[in-house]
Amino acid sequence: MAELADRPFPPGDYPVVVVGSGPGGLQASYFLRRLGIAHAVISADERPGGMFRRFPFFQRLLSWTKPYAPAPRDDRWYEWYDWNSLLADEPQNRSIMAELMDGSSSFPSRPEMELNLSTFAHRTGVSVRYGCTWRGTRRDEDRFVLETTDGDYRCQVAIFAVGVAQPWKPETPGFEHVPHYAETRDAAEYAGRKLFIVGKENSAFELATGLLPWAQRIVLASPRPAKLSVNLHSLAGVRARYIQPVEDEVLGGGVFIINASIDRIDRSAGGYRVRCLRSDGGGELNVDADEVIAATGWTCPLNDLSELGVSVFGRSLLPSMTNYWQSASVPGIYFAGTIGQGVAGMKKYGMPANSGAVHGARYNARVMVEHLAETHFGVARHQPVVEPERIVEMLLQAATRSPELWNQKSYLCRAVALDPSSGSRDLGVMPLADFVDREGVAAVAIAVETDDSGDIHPAVYVRPANRPAVETLLESDPLHDFRTPANRAQMASLLKEATSGAIR
Amino acid sequence: MPITSQQKSEALSRLPLFAGISEESLRRLSEAAGEQEFGPGEFIVRQGQLGSGLYVILEGEASVLRGSTELARLGPGEFFGEMAVLDQQPRMASVRAESQTRCLAIASWDLLRQLEEDSALALNLIHGLVARIRAFGESHRH
Amino acid sequence: MALSRQQLVDTIGGLSLFADLTPTQLEQVAHRLAEESYPAGQRILRQGFTGTGFYVILEGEVAIRIDGEERARLGKGDFFGEMSVLLGEPPVADVVALRQLHVLHLGGPELEGFLREHPAVMLRMLRTVALRLRNASRWRS
Repeated sequence: MAELADRPFPPGDYPVVVVGSGPGGLQASYFLRRLGIAHAVISADERPGGMFRRFPFFQRLLSWTKPYAPAPRDDRWYEWYDWNSLLADEPQNRSIMAELMDGSSSFPSRPEMELNLSTFAHRTGVSVRYGCTWRGTRRDEDRFVLETTDGDYRCQVAIFAVGVAQPWKPETPGFEHVPHYAETRDAAEYAGRKLFIVGKENSAFELATGLLPWAQRIVLASPRPAKLSVNLHSLAGVRARYIQPVEDEVLGGGVFIINASIDRIDRSAGGYRVRCLRSDGGGELNVDADEVIAATGWTCPLNDLSELGVSVFGRSLLPSMTNYWQSASVPGIYFAGTIGQGVAGMKKYGMPANSGAVHGARYNARVMVEHLAETHFGVARHQPVVEPERIVEMLLQAATRSPELWNQKSYLCRAVALDPSSGSRDLGVMPLADFVDREGVAAVAIAVETDDSGDIHPAVYVRPANRPAVETLLESDPLHDFRTPANRAQMASLLKEATSGAIR
Repeated sequence: MPITSQQKSEALSRLPLFAGISEESLRRLSEAAGEQEFGPGEFIVRQGQLGSGLYVILEGEASVLRGSTELARLGPGEFFGEMAVLDQQPRMASVRAESQTRCLAIASWDLLRQLEEDSALALNLIHGLVARIRAFGESHRH
Repeated sequence: MALSRQQLVDTIGGLSLFADLTPTQLEQVAHRLAEESYPAGQRILRQGFTGTGFYVILEGEVAIRIDGEERARLGKGDFFGEMSVLLGEPPVADVVALRQLHVLHLGGPELEGFLREHPAVMLRMLRTVALRLRNASRWRS
């Protein structure tokens, strides 16, 4: 019993309960504590790390951490060059990932990432009740009750950071015989085998890249053509690290990338026969394979939340959320971590934000926690007064250096309320979609954006009092320092218009 | 002297509506297109009538009228009548030649068949239509 | 509203825009367009903003507003955003979710390619756009 007694957060009543000990849960807990909001963190796992305890399968991440970057490591600007460390206000707890890398790659290995997360939890004192599995949820008047293997947790606000972590396969006949990405075996076991991978997302290309030295032939198939990140200007595409199979296919080297939907998969004597229907109208194509792997994605393990009224959508069963990652149908239930990608934001030119990755989700967590602290617990946000003559410089500086604006382009913005009577106030970082759709006091916000040509530039949103925001794109800069004379002049004139409108 | 199929094809290929469409489409449309000429004051189409085709002005000038109100002026390269082809409803407006006007007329069934076969043509037509909707909206607002 | 893959394909097949597609083509559409969810009150298209996309409503209702004044409503099966994308100009209207909205989304830069791959969808869109033009000109007169 001594061991049990040492575990933190026994069942009971807490203002907030966080479920999950991956990056999303750890980051949410960290900011809750910074704001002095008592909470419990529970996790079914035995140690921190979430999905990084197992994946990526081939043991190296897709997200960079550049130990030698244009920004010093103790500067917040460095976060743009370090996509894997969690955020901390104390300089000594920042950029932990960079300390732990062995120099063989600017993409950390999976074990390095796992160590990064446990080091963060250790140094910042984020504690978790491990081995405590969330089983079900119910309501009891104004509280949520989370039923767990250790007993009931009651809370006013629940934050679920349980990842988009449940393997998903289509209902198409035959998939029941086929392993999911999560069930891939050791690479050597695919030696000399004919491999068929269903899917063309990064997970499919990760497998193809890792199994390239082993499989005798690799076919990748899905209805949609593969898109590369370098062409899309977005991380939604196949990353440069996994382009090797594409080159092999172009050169005719035993990799085939086919645009086709899978009609059915049958067992055959030696393996499988995959019946494909080609997307170009070319008809049926039967492919024999020794091995098939479904790299077809994941869903959210939201347990019984739908019975509580939490509405979900899409193949991944993401919850429908407000711009502050609160369930759109059940107030008081929030989501952190990769689930946050269900909030689409502006998605300019179709490009998603990075909410599905640590380098986007960590900022969402801070904005979410500040929001729920204010709306549920009356913790007022610190909104310092800004001298009017400093606003332009402050916002252009934010566009040039703020990691949240760079990591969450067209998604998070830095805003200032323009109130001629009580003085202008720094509203901090907030979701851009919320800023532009919420009418109120006159305000201005800046975001960093990319267009379809790949140009990276600031965008200014001026919101006159009680009117919708107006968008103005500023000029780019070859070295991405947006503090140019032209931008200063343009911002000054935009602000003048906005405040004169406010006075009228 | 009636123009040749080659001349019709050249005339059509210069129009934005037919820019970038396949050689085959252009050839078929040119073969299907008939040349028509109208004198000043003569109606090319009348409001309320069932439309049977798309007209492209080669030469001259025409006015778009609803009742006695002039909505727009059309000149060489501009087209009209596509709405009736698409929704088979009566013409929304009349078009009257203001000077000696030469048109190419393409019958509904010929155009529809080509739209089904040539996505570039359909896309051009959508472009033309959304631009008109936008123009309507603008004139409505200001 | 969460739909299984097959339910999504069936739902898409039931929308008039996609009514002429074969099951294989519907499957492609389901892969190509992303499902998104927006809370009530959120604008999906914003007057004067760049980088917009194309949307097909799966569930819910939107209002089209110009300078704050409501001009029309769209519901299940209706689509919007194609005008701005095809013209390469920012929207002249806001499109606002009146309640929880579930849509299919295609990024602006992908729309022309998508229509070229699916001429049957393009023809359907053409007819709807023609109808909108007819309605737009009725408002004016």
